[in-house]
Amino acid sequence: MTTLLTSTGTSSSASPAVGRGLALSVLRLHRSALWLWLLLVVVLSAAMLWAYGPGYDAADTDLQERCRKSVETCHFPDGPAFIRYDRAVSYSTLAVTCFPFLVAVWAGAALIARELETGTAHLAWTQSVSPTRWLAAKLAVPALLITAGTAVLVPLHRLVWDQDAWLRSMDWYDRSIYPSSGTLPLAYALCGLALGALAGLVVGRALPALGVAFAALLAVYYLGNEYRLSLWPTVTVTGAKALNLPDDALQLDRGVITDEGTRIANNLACADADGVAGLRRCLADSGLDEIWATYHPRYHYWPLQLAETGVVLAVAALAVTAAFVLLRRRTATEGVAV
Amino acid sequence: MSAFAVRGTAETPGVPPGGPVKGLPWAVLRLHRAALLVWGAFLLAALGMLVWEVEITADSVRDRMAACERTGGGLCRLQNLTDYSSTIGWASTLVYYSFFAVAAFAAGALIGRELENGTAQLAWTQSVSPTRWLAVTLAVPAVLLTVGGTVFVFVFRWAWAANRDLMGDDWTFNDVFAARGPALVAYGFCGLGVGALAGVVLRRSLPALGVACGVMYLVNHNLEKYREDLWPAVTPAPTKGVEMSQDVWQIGDGTGRFHPRSHYWPMHLVETGIVLGVAVLATGAAFWVLRRRTA
Amino acid sequence: MSRVGDGTALTAVGLGKRYRRRRGHVLRDCSFRLPTGRICALVGPNGAGKSTLLQLAAGLIRPTEGTLTVLGTSPAAARERFAYVAQGKPLPLQLTVAATLRLGAELNRARWDQPAAERIAYGHPTEQGARDGALEPTARIRSLSGGQRTRVALALAFGKRPELMLLDEPMADLDPLARRELLGALLGEAAEHGTTIVMSSHVVAELEGVCDHLLLMGGGRIRLGGDPEELLAAHTLVTGPARDLTGHTVVESRDTGRQLTALIRPGGPPSDDWQTAAPTLEELLLAHLRNPKAPDLFTEDTEAGEEKSGSEAEGTKEAEETGKPGETGEDQENEENARA
Repeated sequence: MTTLLTSTGTSSSASPAVGRGLALSVLRLHRSALWLWLLLVVVLSAAMLWAYGPGYDAADTDLQERCRKSVETCHFPDGPAFIRYDRAVSYSTLAVTCFPFLVAVWAGAALIARELETGTAHLAWTQSVSPTRWLAAKLAVPALLITAGTAVLVPLHRLVWDQDAWLRSMDWYDRSIYPSSGTLPLAYALCGLALGALAGLVVGRALPALGVAFAALLAVYYLGNEYRLSLWPTVTVTGAKALNLPDDALQLDRGVITDEGTRIANNLACADADGVAGLRRCLADSGLDEIWATYHPRYHYWPLQLAETGVVLAVAALAVTAAFVLLRRRTATEGVAV
Repeated sequence: MSAFAVRGTAETPGVPPGGPVKGLPWAVLRLHRAALLVWGAFLLAALGMLVWEVEITADSVRDRMAACERTGGGLCRLQNLTDYSSTIGWASTLVYYSFFAVAAFAAGALIGRELENGTAQLAWTQSVSPTRWLAVTLAVPAVLLTVGGTVFVFVFRWAWAANRDLMGDDWTFNDVFAARGPALVAYGFCGLGVGALAGVVLRRSLPALGVACGVMYLVNHNLEKYREDLWPAVTPAPTKGVEMSQDVWQIGDGTGRFHPRSHYWPMHLVETGIVLGVAVLATGAAFWVLRRRTA
Repeated sequence: MSRVGDGTALTAVGLGKRYRRRRGHVLRDCSFRLPTGRICALVGPNGAGKSTLLQLAAGLIRPTEGTLTVLGTSPAAARERFAYVAQGKPLPLQLTVAATLRLGAELNRARWDQPAAERIAYGHPTEQGARDGALEPTARIRSLSGGQRTRVALALAFGKRPELMLLDEPMADLDPLARRELLGALLGEAAEHGTTIVMSSHVVAELEGVCDHLLLMGGGRIRLGGDPEELLAAHTLVTGPARDLTGHTVVESRDTGRQLTALIRPGGPPSDDWQTAAPTLEELLLAHLRNPKAPDLFTEDTEAGEEKSGSEAEGTKEAEETGKPGETGEDQENEENARA
């Protein structure tokens, strides 16, 4: 007499254990990437902490000395202490900026495509892990690690840059540091992960997937650069206020409104007028009605960041969804033809 | 069983109907056909972009800038300028830094991957010695890079000099400096050599790719950084003051030393020499490691 | 079945290979001689070093000790004259079958037989037309099954018209029909052109009727070498009451208390109360594999030109017997001295 073994009771309680096992296996499989990532985080954190503390102090005192001695050094900072500080800050900024591309390249090549190519993915799928679960773990574990690392690196980076004002004045909207501040690095990194996974699934071969993932992220990055400033409504002021924009505003455009009411953009007429009276005189002389200026004030930083983050994460979400759909279509998760 | 025996036909070697390229060079081109096509398309696009900008859009840019004069906007002029010069700049920057892609290809696909999955060993047992295999596998891309790179350098020199008034850069810019002479080709060779060494040593395509790109970054970054020290700079006579002419390379340490335009070729050739030296060293090391490993 | 070859296809003297300090030697003190014109089976347990030996012979890696000559010269110099098929049958995945054969033609410009290569790759059509699973010239290697890839890899080897073929587990992926085809082709090659063939394999039964030279690997060295018939003739299975077996070399013995069954190399005629039988090749190989301490046996001399012909006894001496059945701790040195 045969007895049916009912294992329904055990399957639900096995899930958390299976989940943890799956996560651990992902970590084990990509151990070298994990170590590289840890090394990167540790080295960058150390470099930035040094730049924030001792590096800055040493460079600062040294430069003040030199500045007292010769005026030129005030404008062309130099000296071994400054060079060391400069190097630390530049390299760590470069690393934080490039990091999403590294993630995309790794995700494209090693995370998904390589496993599909060599067949070790199939090995996992026949070890009681459904393909959907496998992909979810493959995305979730790196995403968590990336978030953890970025949560350490980006605030440190911000600290360093805020302090940098005297040494190298850069504005909040500067092209080289804006994408590596706030929530953007995390967004681009997650987008890189998603695009890499999708490229790996679509292409299926490690090296071409690497190229496709890199190109895709580059395209997203480029578009982000182009349309960054149009993601949040700008502020337009007229009249005297247009003369004296706030100090750290990102000036976008200036123009005039003629007496007939035509609005002309990209025009600097009367922009250098002296006070309200001077402005009125200038306007009367030139036959203009008003001057205007469009800009993003500093308090737009977070709305702009979050808007761009939202767009980039939406792209990432699309890529992840596409990846899961593609995987489901390819593998028999339900045993019936789709 | 004997029905399937291999009957010896007349023992003439079956020379295949060949095109102009035969033997191992044919094999290299055929195996990496996809990369060849991608590279060819990329180069043609860059060349096309340059020719298009100079021949076709330059005139319309000038017209638009003349129109700008009337509305009196300095920003308008700048906008058109940057559109034109940035396109040229993109072409030269992309081609200049394509040595990263060359290094990645050499380490990943050309050498590392073949060693990893055994197709290199397949060639070695098909009457090609490992040394000859490495030599031809590197020589074919080297020839292509030389031809393509040289064509690009000449076209770029023409394009860059064509409308100087429309472009905001000068000879000191990183990509312009490198793309106006043989250093462009030398960087390509360096990418090949470093990639080959990484591939032969590591024998795995992805790690070799990473290492090769890292090494190329270090080489290029340091050369760019210390470029101004490649040739002794001119110290201005104390009476003259700081040289403010547009076409000089100011040394950024506030001492007023500079490089006049005539220093371009010495600096460029020194950099070319250094890059070629690295390429030769890396390639030699790759051959040496391969010889040590195989019979 | 042995053909007298007047040359040496492969000679190894004291060959050793060690990959990394910790892992120890894969091959150690490996010596043998393979005359030309033989079809040789290289047999051994997994991890015995068969693939390493073939790779050394193919010139893909360097030995750490000893020497190896292939067709009279170093592997590098003989590169054009031998063919090698690796265990994984590596092929360029992006090419088609026709392009891969073309690759072989281009790389082996000195000697390439396109019809021979095509015959192996595409097979012979049966009466009903192309057989099942026959290869299309335009099929990409990536899309082929393991057995189909093996056909292409073997086609590359055959097309080279080699004097020596080194095949690492060529039969592993093939279906029964393809296996017979391949064996037939190999035999034909050997018969027509006197090609020496070295095949590493696990399937002894298949090789039994085909091979006229056997190399058994174990412990990093060759333990049995020679014509299987001669090797079998040198061994006897004896069954009888438990008795000591001095004077004979015992390879393996099993004592059930009342009865003793042993595989021995007789040093003289066994006594009357023993029942004797001839062992099968499989029994012989298994016995040697199970008993790594049994002494080596070669029916060929390591010097070229001193080969003994088939019917005579071999030129090795039996070493001292320690007395107790089952214990065969032979002194390796005696064996070497006897052989040299």
